Amino acid sequence: MTTASGLHPLLVKSCRFGGIASVLLALVFILNNFLTYVGGMPGVYGTLGAAGLLGFSAPSGNISGGMLTMGWLQVLLVIAALGFAGYYTTSRGTLADDSKHMDNLASYIIRASFWAVLFVGVADAIISFIRVEDIHVALFGKTIATKLGLSSWRGLYIHIPLMVIGAFIAIRDKSVSVIWLILLVVIAEMLIVLARFIFAYEQTFMGDLVRFWYAALFLFASALTLKQEGHVRVDVFFAGFQDRTKAWVNATGSVAFGMPLCWIVLVLGMSGKASLINSPMLNFETSMSGFGMYVKYLMAAFLVVFAISMLAQFTSYFFKALAIMNGDIKPDFGESHQEQGA
Amino acid sequence: MELFFLAVLFLIMMYALGSGYPVAFALPGAAIISIALAGITGYLFAGDSGAYFIQDGPIEWLTAGVTNFRGIYWEVERDTLIAIPLFIFMGIMLQRSRIAEDLLVTMAQLFGPIPGGLGISVVFVGALLAATTGIVGATVVAMGLISLPAMLRNNYSKPLATGTICASGTLGQIIPPSIVLIILADQLASAADQAASERKSLYKEATGEFSMPSTLDIVSTSAGDMFLGAFIPGLILVGLYMAYILGSALLRPSTAPAVPYDGKLLERAFIQKVILSLVPPLVLIFVVLGSIIAGIATVNQAGAIGAIGATVMAGYRLREGEKDAFYPVILATVSLVVIALLMTVFSINIRKIETGMDVVGITAAVIAVAGFVTAVVWSGWRTFKIEDTLNGVMLESAKTTSMVFIILLGAAMLTAAFRAFGGEEIVKEFLTGLPGGFWAQFVVVMLVIFLLGFFLDFIEIAVVVVPIVSPILLADPTANVTAVWLGVMIGMNIQTSFLTPPFGFALFYLRGVASSAVKTLDIYRGVIPFIALQLIGLTIVGFYPPLVNFLPVRTYLTSETAPPPKNPRLQSCLEDYLFNTYMQDRGRLEAATGEVASLDLSGLPKDIQRDLGLMVSNVNGVFDLVQNIRDAEQAIEVASVDYRPIHGEVRQIERQIRRNNKIITALKLEQRGTDSASKIAHIREEIAELDAENRALKAEIPSNWKSVNKEFRSIRSELTKAQRQYRKSVDESYGYLMTAIDVLTASDALAAQETSLKALLNSVRVNGNHEEGRDAIKAVMTNFSAIAGTSATMALLDEAGKNMRKGREKPEEARTAIQSALTAFNADLSGRRNASPEMIATLKTYEAEIRNSIGLRQQSRLPVDIATEISGCLAKHRDISLSF
Repeated sequence: MTTASGLHPLLVKSCRFGGIASVLLALVFILNNFLTYVGGMPGVYGTLGAAGLLGFSAPSGNISGGMLTMGWLQVLLVIAALGFAGYYTTSRGTLADDSKHMDNLASYIIRASFWAVLFVGVADAIISFIRVEDIHVALFGKTIATKLGLSSWRGLYIHIPLMVIGAFIAIRDKSVSVIWLILLVVIAEMLIVLARFIFAYEQTFMGDLVRFWYAALFLFASALTLKQEGHVRVDVFFAGFQDRTKAWVNATGSVAFGMPLCWIVLVLGMSGKASLINSPMLNFETSMSGFGMYVKYLMAAFLVVFAISMLAQFTSYFFKALAIMNGDIKPDFGESHQEQGA
Repeated sequence: MELFFLAVLFLIMMYALGSGYPVAFALPGAAIISIALAGITGYLFAGDSGAYFIQDGPIEWLTAGVTNFRGIYWEVERDTLIAIPLFIFMGIMLQRSRIAEDLLVTMAQLFGPIPGGLGISVVFVGALLAATTGIVGATVVAMGLISLPAMLRNNYSKPLATGTICASGTLGQIIPPSIVLIILADQLASAADQAASERKSLYKEATGEFSMPSTLDIVSTSAGDMFLGAFIPGLILVGLYMAYILGSALLRPSTAPAVPYDGKLLERAFIQKVILSLVPPLVLIFVVLGSIIAGIATVNQAGAIGAIGATVMAGYRLREGEKDAFYPVILATVSLVVIALLMTVFSINIRKIETGMDVVGITAAVIAVAGFVTAVVWSGWRTFKIEDTLNGVMLESAKTTSMVFIILLGAAMLTAAFRAFGGEEIVKEFLTGLPGGFWAQFVVVMLVIFLLGFFLDFIEIAVVVVPIVSPILLADPTANVTAVWLGVMIGMNIQTSFLTPPFGFALFYLRGVASSAVKTLDIYRGVIPFIALQLIGLTIVGFYPPLVNFLPVRTYLTSETAPPPKNPRLQSCLEDYLFNTYMQDRGRLEAATGEVASLDLSGLPKDIQRDLGLMVSNVNGVFDLVQNIRDAEQAIEVASVDYRPIHGEVRQIERQIRRNNKIITALKLEQRGTDSASKIAHIREEIAELDAENRALKAEIPSNWKSVNKEFRSIRSELTKAQRQYRKSVDESYGYLMTAIDVLTASDALAAQETSLKALLNSVRVNGNHEEGRDAIKAVMTNFSAIAGTSATMALLDEAGKNMRKGREKPEEARTAIQSALTAFNADLSGRRNASPEMIATLKTYEAEIRNSIGLRQQSRLPVDIATEISGCLAKHRDISLSF
């Protein structure tokens, strides 16, 4: 039974469970994807198949005992995610708190990604410049110079450490975030203009840098835009709705339209070696031009960042809408459409 | 069943959009849900999850969707979209730093005293402001907040005031640099590719030939082209608006009274204010648009220039009143002037540092650039520090960019679902099935877009509707419209839709910020005249496409990457132009040719005599050849009168037959896949029905079609023949002339070779070193090959060389050949010497005379004046349907 203003406690609990479980499962899914395709583990389905459980087909080829153990660990991760979500929703937390946590999670992912693309962009552009101007041998000696031409080496020994640094900075610093990417895009494009028109100098990596940051800009900023009501609505009817109805639209829309999109991107992008996101990432794919930046594989990873940050943000949005319907918090629907640049 | 799920897709989409959930997620969400539903029902009821898709299954289509999704930034071809965040940054920077507001206020004060002046300045600023943001809502809201109160305070009639603001606010969509134009360009470019392959297959089906001539290709577009194309129509609209306001101010002065400025107009402070708030934004727009129009910068680079320029302007505006306010902008200006000077004095290329001058130039340039960068950083620092402007700008820009792009991503997903259920085919069937051909299709599409404009914003329409309908419209050979024109028409159409009560977007925005003294009905009444003006503008542009096409074509023809005059696509217009000049200058051309003909060529080398003789007769014959072409064109025109209707009818029938055949193939495939006897019988019945229909259709084809078609083709081939003849003749004539000039002017260079040729007789000897002899011959030949018209001598030297081949040396014969070469050489040289300097001068004058007429096809690029003339012709749409 719903009360006049509140929602049924069981409904609230199951919604909270669903939302939290969905985000945790997505995180575990990404982790497991990494363990499976980089670590060579059998994966959840593979392990269950090898054990003959739940009708999954056994993976082809032999799996060593150690790997099978690791595979059970992967299964355990999934169970742990579900278990934690269940424990957490039954014992503690409120919709408003959960919404805040999810929002923090999304912000953290975006912040970490921002620092990562900032560092990787700058570093890789410098390396590309050094390489295309042929001064890398003089600077680093022959062995490292050759390695700088390998996208996998650059990925493993330059990009990943920088990303880790970015992830740490994002924990400490909360003042700078994704919106700075727009300034970076402007600066990078301005450098192209200066170099081209004044010094008659133009290289592929310069355009690559702009594209790298610009793609990051709109994909990473999406979560923030959702939070601040920046995504356009058709508000012919919406503007006239009551707050409760608005919240209802937001809640159902997030579950029906938003979250599935994130899951589709994640699952289709990372199911199998040859899929949309996995394939470029596993091969450290670069663009066609040999002297451009070696970051195209990371641009595939942008989709993962987009999907997981949006999933967390949608969940936060969903919880917030539920909290409004439940009467926990006061609504503050911005004038979404008119805010654009006004 | 596909149809059912297509309907499901639409219902879910309409519900999702109507509910007010953000469009960017409503679109892909609807796509995912309907694909999933189709997959699940298919699996449950037909045992195959792909059963209810036009082909493939749910996973494939969703993957296609995600691939489309990624495609927005994955490939270099979509790079134009990068300009969007840059222009957004620029627009928001101008707004946040209140430069835009200053512009509006100052303009109003400046033009206030003339009748309707306030309204006119609102239109003017709307056009400019719009140029920098391209977001309808933003401009309408900004102008509604600033200028509506001013207009009402000065007793403007409410309808006129509100109408002016709404209409000027929507101008942003059509006046470059608008982000919507960039998105339209992006969508239309891929639509044009699709249409091109469509047209190619149409050509193959109709004519049986494999490759379509490039003259029948579709004219694609780019963001730069869209900007150029929308420029003149935008100005026309601005002009119409202003004329209307001025007109109503003059006819009914009470609706738009003059607003006297309370200060003195010529006061120094006011003039200073006018210059300060008017000039910089105008310069910025001028630089941004100018660099695109002149073809110097790409749209992205122009966007960066705009963003940086706006930041520098914000740097002084935010510190208004302080003594040091203008330091950075002065530094920036000085640096730019220094850089410009340096670039005229030195050739600055960091890749080519060769002389000391280069080093000086580069060093100075580096210092100047450092100065400029300092100024930019300084201004940026101010925007960061003062009122947190930079942060606000970045936040707004990032949000707006993301909003725009996530819609693009979402629509990419939706398009996949739409295709999955065969929606594309259905729309195509429907449109191509309409009676009335292209214009009926066009009107229907425009109407649909107009209606959608009530519910969807510009970007959504551009990304959802345009990719579906525009390939069909572009592929049509009857109208053969350019992608730019279609884009501008769509843009103007949506813009009109935004103004139209009761749903127009602009009206909502204005309603939101207008005081309650303004009634909604006032707004409605106010926009009606502007809707009429829009429709007038739309009609003008619709009936006179060169307004759109001219600028892009001309820029292309005069750009660095311009096609050479020989390019087949230019020929028709080039010849039109040339034939007119021939006819006008016939007397002069004939006189000049007569002068060449009267030259005494008798002493010259034989082949030169022959060539020049041929050239003269060719040039004199050009007029006949031109007449032949004109006659042939006339004949085609006469023949098409009867041919066109029958051609159209037959092609229509053939299309229907092909459509039926396609269905039959699909049915046969289905028949093979099923075991149910009743179903097979049903399918057989259907196939039989279609076969019968096809037979009936075939019988409808007029019996004389074959002969008529053949006759028309033969008439057309007459034209091709005449054209080929003409082109060959002029190409040869000019070629002859150029060879003659080259040969005759090379006589000194030839004479210089005499000693080395004679010396060959010393190197090639019976008992000499054959190796040396061979090398000597080779060396002399290399020298000769650099001189024009030495083929006779060369041939003999070559023979000598062959006679000295390793192991088969015949020095005696080689020496004979060299002797003959020497004889030939002397004859050649003396022949050349017979050409007097006056004769050569006459030939050169003649070359200059015919270079841009007879010789135009042989030039590497078009002269600017001719390019302009031809652009006017190329800008028109030509009906090429009879070629299909």
